[in-house]
This record gives sequence, C-alpha cells and structure tokens, in this order.
Amino acid sequence: MWLPALFLIIGLLLGFMTNMSIPDAYTNYLSIAVLAALDTLFGGIRAQLEAKFDQKVFISGFFFNVLLAAFLAFIGVQLGIDLYLAAIFAFGVRLFQNLAMIRRLLIEKYELYREVKKDTKS
Amino acid sequence: MKNVFNKQNVAIGIVCLLVGLMIAILFNTNHQTIDRDTRDTWEIRTALLEEQKIQQNLYMEIAEAEQTLQEYQEQTEHQQIESLKNSINELREQAGLTEKSGQGITVTLEPMFLEEDYQEYPEINAELLQLLINELNAAGATEMAIESQRVINITPIRDVNDNIYVNNSSIGELPTKIHVLTNDSEEIINHLEVSEIGDYFALENVTMNLSEQSDIVLPEYDEQIDLQDVDIVDVPEEGES
Repeated sequence: MWLPALFLIIGLLLGFMTNMSIPDAYTNYLSIAVLAALDTLFGGIRAQLEAKFDQKVFISGFFFNVLLAAFLAFIGVQLGIDLYLAAIFAFGVRLFQNLAMIRRLLIEKYELYREVKKDTKS
Repeated sequence: MKNVFNKQNVAIGIVCLLVGLMIAILFNTNHQTIDRDTRDTWEIRTALLEEQKIQQNLYMEIAEAEQTLQEYQEQTEHQQIESLKNSINELREQAGLTEKSGQGITVTLEPMFLEEDYQEYPEINAELLQLLINELNAAGATEMAIESQRVINITPIRDVNDNIYVNNSSIGELPTKIHVLTNDSEEIINHLEVSEIGDYFALENVTMNLSEQSDIVLPEYDEQIDLQDVDIVDVPEEGES
C-alpha cells in the first residue's frame, strides 16, 4: 500500500529537483494528461476498495486515457475547437464521482470495523 | 513477509511515479519565475532622472499653455484677436506651413561607382530614406526637406513604380539632396558618420555626403493637411508582459 505513495513522492521530487518545464504551447496537453492520470488513479483506488481491482485494466486505462486526452486536445487545436474542455469536463465529473464513491466505501468500511469491534468486546 | 516488489506493485508504482512527475512538471511550468529587474542603483537613478526630465518638460508645457490662456482672458477684444493670430502663426510654423531658414546641413545622396565592368545606375528605396529621416530626427534635426518637399509629421515616403514619392510627388533619380535644419550641425554629422546608415546606403552603391551650411531655406508644405484618416493609435503598455 505504501509503495505507490512512495513512488508518487519520488516522482514529485524528481520533477521539482530537475526543475523541468515545458513550453507554454504544450501546457494544455500536459494539464489534460495530468487530469486523466488522476482520474485513473482514483478509479484504481475505488476499484481496490470495491475489491474489483484488475491490474491490466488499471495500467492500460492509465496510458490509454492519458494518450486519448492529449490526442483530443491536439485535434481540438488543429480544428480550432476547444475540445480539451470536453475532456476536462468528462474527467472532472468522473473524478468527483470516484471520490464520492471512495468516501462512501471508506465510511462503510469504518462502520463495519466498529461493529465488528463491538461484537468482539461484548 | 510477502515480497513488496512483486510485479503488480511495481507497475502501479511506476504509474504513480509518472503521475507525480507530470504534476511536478506542470507545477513548474505554471510557476516560472518572472524576469527580475536586474538594474543596479545607478541605472535606476538614470532612468529616474530621465523620467523627471520628461515630467519637467510636461510642467513647462502646461505653464506655457496656462500663460497663453491667461493672456487671452486679460486682453481686450482687439488684443485677443492679435494674440490668436500670433498663436495661429506659431502653429503654422510648427506644422511646417511656412518657409523656414537657418543653419544646418545638407545630405547629398550620390551614386557610387565602383571599378567594375558593368554596373547599373544605383537606386534607393523609400525604406532606406525613411531610415535616414529617422536617424536624422534621432540625431537632433528640427526641420527637414527632401529636395523641394518639406517633411512634416505626416509626410508619406513611399515607393511608387520604382520612384520614391515624398508628399505625393516624385523626387526623381539620384542624386538626392536632403536639407536639414538643426541647432548643432556638428552633432548630426558625427552621429551620421558613426551610424550604420552609411553602410546600408553603400550596399545599394550610394554614398552619403554631409556638408555644413550656414544658411538653408526650407520650402513650405504646400498641400492641404488632411487629418481625416488619422487616428489615435492604441499604444500597448510596456513593461509587464
């Protein structure tokens, strides 16, 4: 459980330490890719809590979503339509949904845990 | 103990690593440090002095305008008309509608023949002439005339059918004379001699001869000043981007 968190921190440190930055023109792509990645990440956490986690789905979903989002942004730029807004909207909604589900699942688990504790005490 | 470095954990870890990296890069990109003001005290002081000079000039202009206004108010009707006429004359002179004479320099643009077997007769273009006019203005010229055409604030200089037109009339082939009124002829000559403008003319096989004159008469601008299509330009604010 702590390994992903550790890797996340390593990634953050790596990014900050190297002080990397990308040209302004590409920030749109990266921001949407980050959003897609976060969406996949939270989706993965939810699946884990629901005990439906499948690694293949998770990994493929991550890369596919990121690439699709970037591609959508690219098409949008080419056509002069702000298509990336569509992706931001979709991912944003899903992000919130996932977070809501995670919250509910955690609450349920906590209550279950309390009940179990009570039962063992009495 | 279960091996934490099994395939599944590592794969998820790499995904997390990527997410962290992307977030960090995005953060860095959005929080780039703005260019710092690297001027030292001396430079800032010089800039401040310049601004103060501009302010002083503005104050002087205001004072002059106020003085004129006071004159108008204090005078009798006859005197008022007189001073209005004076103002009109002053403005006409400023606009270039009167003949003007004084000391200055004459810039002669002449063809330069190199020792080559074959050479076309050199030509200049309007852009070069504009560059020269700008250079002269920067050097401190007060009034100018190209051949017999007075250069005023809205004088157009343009290429029309391989001819250079100033004030809507052609100035003909080289050699071309530009008369410049100035208070300090030597400064202009020095300025032009060290500036790159001579090289630009030389590229077109044109030489630039400067001669100091004690008495130059500039012709008046003889056309109607038409300000119908003149508009105020929105000057973009400088500084912060």
